[in-house]
Amino acid sequence: MDNHQFRAGVKAALPIVLGYIPVGMAFGVLARQAGLTPIEVGLMSLLVYAGASQFLAIEMILKGMAWSPIIFATFFINLRHSLMSSTLSLYFNRNRLRTLGLLSAELTDESFAVAMSNTSKIENRPVYLFGLQITSHVAWITGSVAGALFGGLIDHKSYGIPFALPALFICLLLIQIKKIHHLLIMVIAGISSLFFKWALPGNWYIVLTALLASGIGMAIETKLFPSPSMGEGKGGGGK
Amino acid sequence: MRPETLILILGMALVTFLPRFFPMAFLNRRVLPEKVKKGLEYFPISILSAIVFPMLFSNGGGKIEIQPQYLIAAIPVFLFAWKVKSLWGSVILGMVLYWGLGFVL
Repeated sequence: MDNHQFRAGVKAALPIVLGYIPVGMAFGVLARQAGLTPIEVGLMSLLVYAGASQFLAIEMILKGMAWSPIIFATFFINLRHSLMSSTLSLYFNRNRLRTLGLLSAELTDESFAVAMSNTSKIENRPVYLFGLQITSHVAWITGSVAGALFGGLIDHKSYGIPFALPALFICLLLIQIKKIHHLLIMVIAGISSLFFKWALPGNWYIVLTALLASGIGMAIETKLFPSPSMGEGKGGGGK
Repeated sequence: MRPETLILILGMALVTFLPRFFPMAFLNRRVLPEKVKKGLEYFPISILSAIVFPMLFSNGGGKIEIQPQYLIAAIPVFLFAWKVKSLWGSVILGMVLYWGLGFVL
């Protein structure tokens, strides 16, 4: 293990921890109300580790639904991770299957977005990514078990906590904007996500938006920068 | 532990793991066509936009509906994050603004 990289990954995860602990607590409280024991809550957060689908599962349990439709819904909610997994595959091509298995099991929206904010740190560096992911996961388990055991220690609707992860995502989105046409892609993706969310059930809007907007991004980039080994130099064409 | 809860958890874990695992394990950048690779590089920005915009402009049911407390807190965070690409700064600023707006709105 490369300690330095691991520690860098842990450090990069800390803003996620700030968001995961209160949200995990809220999950634990809700799951208890739905009749899950603290051990079941902990096991779900350990093995499933996907916030949106865990909340949905609790809602469905409260409505008295059986396990099969819940598992079905979980699959479709978490299908979006396949897109993130595809992107990560670009950066890990010299690693063993079991390393990839571990990294992919730990993939979440938040850790993916943080990892993508500096891709030079993750390129074939599984230890860094693992440090980032495992820290987030521990926070999620800790939060949810604490919520199940002790109830909401802190009011998760207070102190601006609901805005911790949104603010993190906003900053991570802006970090992705490195060229002028990325702004255009952001606007296209934003508008189409609103349309798809309105038009379709579940969270297909994330998958469809990603496919549409990245298709457009790819087309624009191929038109604007035909050579694959384009430098970062400013100036050149344009006005 | 009740068996049906265990089945539920294991089933959810399996169907969550598979889509996370397969692309990373079996897509190989050396084989991927250049166009696909370029497209994949746009996934982060597209996914993040698809997470952020509905948070600000849509209610839980998918209807277009401005979320004032989120939107008003988001604008300064956007500007701050644009200038200073600081995760901690954005998170703290966003939380303070959102908290403060809770007293006003």
